[in-house]
Amino acid sequence: MTFKEKVKQTLVEELNLEDVSPEDIDDDAPLFGEGLGLDSLDAVELVVIIQKHFGVVIADMEQGRAAFQSVNALCDFIQERNPQ
Amino acid sequence: MTRSTPPSWSSRSIAAGWQHQFFYLAVRLGGRRLAYAWTYPVVAYYLLFRPRLRARTRHYLRRRFPNHVGFRAFRDSFRLSLSFAQALVDRARAGILGPECLAVRFDGIQALRELLDQGRGLILMGAHVGCWQAAMSGLNRLQVPTHLLMQRDQGDVDRHYHEHLGGEPPYRIIDPNGFLGGAVEIVQALGRGEIVSVMGDRIFGHDENHLELPFLGEPAAFPVGAYKIAATTGAPVAVLFSRKTAPDAYALDLARVIRVPRIRDRRLEALRPFALEFVESLETYVQAHPYQFYNFHDMWNTPK
Repeated sequence: MTFKEKVKQTLVEELNLEDVSPEDIDDDAPLFGEGLGLDSLDAVELVVIIQKHFGVVIADMEQGRAAFQSVNALCDFIQERNPQ
Repeated sequence: MTRSTPPSWSSRSIAAGWQHQFFYLAVRLGGRRLAYAWTYPVVAYYLLFRPRLRARTRHYLRRRFPNHVGFRAFRDSFRLSLSFAQALVDRARAGILGPECLAVRFDGIQALRELLDQGRGLILMGAHVGCWQAAMSGLNRLQVPTHLLMQRDQGDVDRHYHEHLGGEPPYRIIDPNGFLGGAVEIVQALGRGEIVSVMGDRIFGHDENHLELPFLGEPAAFPVGAYKIAATTGAPVAVLFSRKTAPDAYALDLARVIRVPRIRDRRLEALRPFALEFVESLETYVQAHPYQFYNFHDMWNTPK
């Protein structure tokens, strides 16, 4: 499993996304609003999930804005801060 | 959190800037007595000549006092508006004369310390009752960084109490209209064991994250984001209400502590039992202190 696949699977499992499989998630689609369709309540969970599963802290709004652009952006954000 | 529908209320003051300045001057020159004296004619003017403003008091009052009509209904509006005006004066007094001009009694400080000692941070859930900002001075004894989820409208001329002296606010403000409603900042603050203060009785930001819950006999809209945050972070929710007990005194009451377990269900409905706990506490408050509830928007008729 690639790192990107692992991130997608974690999102689906931990956010309990019904009727969404990891393969359904477009690498470049926005995570919030149009795209994966997450909302601000999911953001709370997402911040905790990333910290818990990948050991990366999203410190503030600006970091979050960059990291939550898409799965690709999120993977880059995690790997820059915690290359595994 | 991020807004998708028009807001059902505005934080902007109904009064002009000079009117606020007038009261600030009255506080400086004559303290509480002079400023309070001016609240009577001002409130009477607004209720007699600005019927739309009186109508804003009726959303709540006609549900709290369904049998009051005619003069009694007008008197209710007057008492509520006067109480609100004097709470605004108290807020200005706390800023201009210093928080010590108001005696704040808080018996729940030890209980809050014990909640903070659990190391998961603390969500303080208040409501638009009493004089929240003046009463915040009662929390200073905790000596824990406090973050306040607070919306300011552009052009709002009324000052919050910390703004009178131009100093740093005693709390850090998180803007609910920021990216993802300040979710990142909230989670990190709780992770550091700090306090995040939210209002449980008014929807702001993401208007979709609310539930209709029975309040004074009819379904009213209440936000549920804080319960989701509590479920995710493990932070307890302390319901804290302030109330005026004397001209120069407030009390802070720890109404209850809501504990939200981890919830797998993504539907907002899963948060209903916890939001109901808050609404029950608020209803108990307004039954006991009917003229200290200052939510003037129609929470019984919000965007679906």
